[in-house]
Amino acid sequence: MLRLHVLALAALLCACSKKEEPPPAGAPGTATAQQPAKAPIPVGLVIDVGGRGDHSFNDAALRGLELYAAGKRYEGGKYVDASPEEIRQSLPPFLASLSSSIQPLPVKPMVLQSKAQEDYAPNLQLLVDQGAQLTIGNGYMLANAVRTAAQENPKSQFLLIDSQVLDAQGKVLKLPNVRTVLFKEQEGSFLVGALAGLVTKTNKVGFVGGIEVPLIQRFEVGYRAGVKTTNPQAAQALMAVYTGSFNNMAAGKQVAQDLIAKGADILFHAAGADGIGVIQAVKEARAAGKSVYAIGVDSDQSHVAPDAILTSMMKFTDLAIYQATKDLVDGKFSAGEQVVGLKENGVGMAEVRVDFPNKAEALQKVDALRQRIVSGQLQVPAVPGDLATFQAAAP
Amino acid sequence: MLEVLHALLFSTLDAVPALVFAALGAVLSERAGVVFVGLEGMMRVGAFCAAVAALVMPMSLAVGVGMLAGAALAAVHGFLSIRWRSDQVVSGIALNLVALAGGTFLLESLYGPNGTPALPQAARWDVPGLASVPVLGALSGHSAPTYLALVLPFALQALLTRTPLGLRLRAVGDKPHAVATLGLSVAGLRWGAVLGGGLLAGLGGAVLSTCVLGRFEQHTPAGLGFIALAAMVFGRWTPVGAFLAALFFAFGDALRIGLASSAPGLLEVVPQGMLQALPYVLTLALLTLQGQRSSAPAALGVPYEQESR
Repeated sequence: MLRLHVLALAALLCACSKKEEPPPAGAPGTATAQQPAKAPIPVGLVIDVGGRGDHSFNDAALRGLELYAAGKRYEGGKYVDASPEEIRQSLPPFLASLSSSIQPLPVKPMVLQSKAQEDYAPNLQLLVDQGAQLTIGNGYMLANAVRTAAQENPKSQFLLIDSQVLDAQGKVLKLPNVRTVLFKEQEGSFLVGALAGLVTKTNKVGFVGGIEVPLIQRFEVGYRAGVKTTNPQAAQALMAVYTGSFNNMAAGKQVAQDLIAKGADILFHAAGADGIGVIQAVKEARAAGKSVYAIGVDSDQSHVAPDAILTSMMKFTDLAIYQATKDLVDGKFSAGEQVVGLKENGVGMAEVRVDFPNKAEALQKVDALRQRIVSGQLQVPAVPGDLATFQAAAP
Repeated sequence: MLEVLHALLFSTLDAVPALVFAALGAVLSERAGVVFVGLEGMMRVGAFCAAVAALVMPMSLAVGVGMLAGAALAAVHGFLSIRWRSDQVVSGIALNLVALAGGTFLLESLYGPNGTPALPQAARWDVPGLASVPVLGALSGHSAPTYLALVLPFALQALLTRTPLGLRLRAVGDKPHAVATLGLSVAGLRWGAVLGGGLLAGLGGAVLSTCVLGRFEQHTPAGLGFIALAAMVFGRWTPVGAFLAALFFAFGDALRIGLASSAPGLLEVVPQGMLQALPYVLTLALLTLQGQRSSAPAALGVPYEQESR
């Protein structure tokens, strides 16, 4: 490990020595005046330790920057042009209308993966030093690193996904060059929970979380509330287990096997790469003749195991990142805090591609609930404390 | 209650084989005096090659490919540490880093960043008549590696303690000069142990990707190699000891998962984070009970030089 740090430090020092060069011209506003033929605007993205290829949270962010904003696909270590068809296919049907508004922007994506939490700060600084006009920190784990980088580089813009910027005392800090985007995960989780409550045959459903932090608890609480709304009995018996990591597939599988052995027939995961293990366990249980489903998270995970995925709770970090990048290109980037939920297309439920009895009726009920949330009639709880008092009329 | 025990036992047995094989590989190599820090890297290489092979050939052959790949990486370790007498810890760490970066690089260039496509599923064996017995039924319905993992530690223990070869392997890790005075080749014995260890490490990795995860993704084996090293130390460098330690680790994991799902009331008192520390707390407690007698081979990590004493 020590050696890794030394290497990282060496890379950082090299990068710092280049600091003498003047930064790329001026404020983001002047960028719009440039002709498209000129050099594209560099936009940096640091993804968390889950890494590229988690089929989930990081992949959604990469899609936002690489596919939507830059119109590129990452293949074999380099970028190739993507077709508009790919963009259209990556959007769920209820957002298909957006595909025409997603146009490739003149940006150059620069992506750094973090192998350890110590990498976040140097990675952000490295991107700033390489001229990124907007640097994106993907995930709450990067909150402190983004704060440091933003304070040290007041001329650069930052986007922080999933967290506010907090100072050392844990108070919310408003920085003039950071936009933060928070998602109402509880609302999307509520919908998949409502569906799970309708689909379960054993009246037992499960939740597999990664690390137990307020963010992941929002998934759990929303899910519990959804199950409670459509199937109070299943809500009583709901089993929620955290794996304690986001990058250990085997741990996710072990947790899922345990829950399935105890009778759960629908498992919702919010566990990053661990969740792939959850899906694997569900797949194996199905092969052994059990009727169980997994519910994916963040991206539409149906492609991982088409038969085994009931639906996915989607979190449109991709659209948030696209929007921020577009604002930067248009010279309209503003700092501040955004909170997006069902209403703002910040979260949503993916298309249900598997068949089960009374499917149409169940989907209709879930949609009715969705409309009640969008219209503000139904407030979904976000913290465990609000769950006990939560009551909603069944659809 | 029986149902909970059943789930606990099943989960332990299902998760344990990769850990057992890797720990046995480490025992074999370290008993012959060669530090095996590169275990994680060898598992990774084995897991990767087996996953790639499993896409085009039957699974048993693919596991063989993974074993050979593990042995190939072990051969590099052997070359550096036996032939060139380099620092064995440094060599091992270097191999881990190479395997970590190389695995990701090859994965992305061959299959893109999303990992290999899902592999065909390993067959599960039902033991006739056992499946319906309460609790013991958990012994049935595993894939082949689980059953191998229940037998192999005892075979290796017998090899090390009951055969001339085993005596020589142990001697070469404790007093290599004594072995040399008998006219035996220290380097040859150590080479054999390192390659054998590599085969077992590769087997552990191959089992992980083909039978447990059903794919190779960029984190595999996610630190399992280091846990296997801990199992080896905990098991005092004996095959059966390492096996029991591995079972214990897997059981600790299964226990904390089982507690979280079966006793939701407990979670209101104990946060899940505390529960996640349970396997480590159990380990600490056992280490305290175990006492402080070290049982590492005397010449572990010391390169053999004819002239030195």
